[in-house]
Amino acid sequence: MTASLQARPAGLKKPGFQMTRRTRESLTGYLFVMPWIISLLVFTAYPMLSSFFFSMTEYTILTPPNWIGFQNFDVMFSKDPLYWKSVANTVYYVVLSVPLGLGVGLGLALLLNQKIGGIGIYRTAFYLPGLVPAVASTLLWMVLLDPRLGLVNAGLKAIGLEPVGWLKSATWAKPALIVMALWGGSGSSMLIFLAALKEIPQSLTEAAMIDGANSWQRFWSVTVPLLSPTILFNLVMSIIGSFQIFASAFITGAGPLNSILMYMLHLYRYAFRYFNMGYASAMALVMFFVLVLFTLLVIRSSSYWVHYETSGRQ
Amino acid sequence: MSERRESVSSVSRRDFLRAAGMAGGAALLAACAPQATQVAAPTTEPNKADQPAAEPTKADQPAAPSGEQVTIAWWNQFVTPLCNELFPKIVADFEAKHPNIKVEFELTGGPPGGGDYIEVLMARIAAGNPPESITLWSPPSQFGARGALLAIDDLMASAELAKTGSFYESPIKSCMWKGKTYGLPASAGDGCIMINKGMFEAAGISSKREDFPTTWEGVKELAQKLTQVENNEVKVAGFVPWTQAWLKDVWSGLNGGQLFDADEVKYTINTDNNVELLEYWLSYLDDLYGGDYEKFNLIATWGDVYPGGAFNLGVEAMDMTGTWGCTDGEVPFDWEVVKFPVGPKGTKSLTGFWPNWWALPKGVTKPNEAWLFSEYMCTEGWVTWYVEGTMDIPAWKNAPRDAYTKLVEKKYGTERAKDLNKFFLDYLPDTVEMWTSPIEDFATDTYNQALDEVMHKVKSPAEALASAQEICEAKLQETLKSFE
Repeated sequence: MTASLQARPAGLKKPGFQMTRRTRESLTGYLFVMPWIISLLVFTAYPMLSSFFFSMTEYTILTPPNWIGFQNFDVMFSKDPLYWKSVANTVYYVVLSVPLGLGVGLGLALLLNQKIGGIGIYRTAFYLPGLVPAVASTLLWMVLLDPRLGLVNAGLKAIGLEPVGWLKSATWAKPALIVMALWGGSGSSMLIFLAALKEIPQSLTEAAMIDGANSWQRFWSVTVPLLSPTILFNLVMSIIGSFQIFASAFITGAGPLNSILMYMLHLYRYAFRYFNMGYASAMALVMFFVLVLFTLLVIRSSSYWVHYETSGRQ
Repeated sequence: MSERRESVSSVSRRDFLRAAGMAGGAALLAACAPQATQVAAPTTEPNKADQPAAEPTKADQPAAPSGEQVTIAWWNQFVTPLCNELFPKIVADFEAKHPNIKVEFELTGGPPGGGDYIEVLMARIAAGNPPESITLWSPPSQFGARGALLAIDDLMASAELAKTGSFYESPIKSCMWKGKTYGLPASAGDGCIMINKGMFEAAGISSKREDFPTTWEGVKELAQKLTQVENNEVKVAGFVPWTQAWLKDVWSGLNGGQLFDADEVKYTINTDNNVELLEYWLSYLDDLYGGDYEKFNLIATWGDVYPGGAFNLGVEAMDMTGTWGCTDGEVPFDWEVVKFPVGPKGTKSLTGFWPNWWALPKGVTKPNEAWLFSEYMCTEGWVTWYVEGTMDIPAWKNAPRDAYTKLVEKKYGTERAKDLNKFFLDYLPDTVEMWTSPIEDFATDTYNQALDEVMHKVKSPAEALASAQEICEAKLQETLKSFE
């Protein structure tokens, strides 16, 4: 094409804006992704940038924001008595729910990777809770965990254990939320682990067997290293998801002595119940940086424990 | 040659993204511009009581010319099966009275399209396209103070039905902030104690209204007699007085106290009266119910008279409710309503109220039609609701005094329906001031937290209330400053 253009007499050259094929292709590509770019700009980037701005303002939604500098952060860190309570509750939740969620997801994936009859039914059954909307699953668990009428306490009584107050107890409310999260969230991590397990070459396991490795050694030295990129992915997603726990905390409320007042619930209350969007934006900004920090730490640490089959240790 | 041509005519990624960004920004600005002008009015100085609202709120502005059809939107915050049955009829009555106004409404309890009612409503008000008329379950004073609602004093001054002074004093005060009125109370729904007559009679106690104790101490003694404990487990509780958050101001008032002083615009939470109140409540837990709050909470769902609750199930001899409990409670046994007892520092029995409020959001485009509808719903329309539907007593003083709820009549007879109507009407002037704070929800949450700490014995009543006072007052001052 270039040759033909060069051969074309100058007088026959098409007037106006000329584009090369490469430019046209680039433009077409950009046009195809344009809906996503516009959506990103309007619904993600703009609100995020606005939130950064609002975090430095006093903003009640209905009146224009007033610039107050770092005052919201000062209130947050030194004057809001429930802020640190919500942080502590959320950290407790993350520290327990993330490893438990990964462990249960991996355990289920290993069980469902067996060649037994009707395995498809089991896989479906274990994945289904993940499809239940958070609101519905929370309401379901609130019934199950009802101290007087719930099936969970009935089960405890049946085996001779004392019933527990669950969501009505300052001690048991957080574990109750973690149980809910395990039920609803393990299915999706299980599915990802299961897909990764299917990708592990049988030959490696067989070679380990020939070398005399027992089942634990095969799991620890062959399966886990090959699963490590998937573990990394699930870990990052779980950390982000757990820090942002909202639906179940919103429905169950803050609990006795604010024992399940989670960070996002506290933020939501300030935004939409107390109409202090500036303070809520400041809280969101802190959460954003915390998540970025944790994600970077995890990704940075991955060079020590994540094994990529194609290029060895990264 | 080809390289030169390419460098001349190609669009680099950077150029393209820059152009796309500019186009997006321009589109965004264009989309925002008309809305921004609509909100401009409330965003200037929204809370100056002496400044008139920017929208055409004057009653002397004519409604749409006769014959010209005007459609207004009404959002309702609550939904019951009765809403679906009765509200269309009441709206039809209004439309018959005002043939040029058509009311579009959705009785889902949430905004059209779903979502949290207040969240979506605030967004719509901020965006400048609110519905014309709204119901609220949180006080208009709180929203009015923030510039979310239209001041309706001018409209009330020349109104046919909802004139200034035609509502009971405390309910209308819950709509006011700094002398301006931002809504109307449709119902007053004053509170009471409901007693299980069978339990009283089984214990050899008179269940007559006039024989009910009038003091805190008397009621506690009664509750002790009615409480049943077997093997250190509470089987039946006489009375659990701390369970209804909306009545916290009433209990404070019963002991001569107050939680928020609307006239002085300050919190008065940590007074001796209120400390004494929490000590009184705590004494129930310790003296009657074993002292362990969480263990006690495992016995039943305490609070109100609805199905599934302790009172309705016969696990509690007395509980508190509003007038609506007479119909909505569906109490399956013989019951009676009595007045609240007076505390040691109190002087008379007082009650509280929890209205369904009607308001006009700032930015409504048809304020006069919206006003006519809101006015109707809080006056004649609500009388229909009271008679034909739920026993939620009207806050409108001109409602017929002999009106009573048919559902009560059908279930308990005409005399009983009349008697209940009279009891609540007579009690209504004795309501405490409540729902008047611009940080009502924040203060309620903070007070409940203090109560929770006291009942869990994490803090003493004095410590908890001192902390609540400090938090609420700081928040109040911060909020007031933001209004300046």
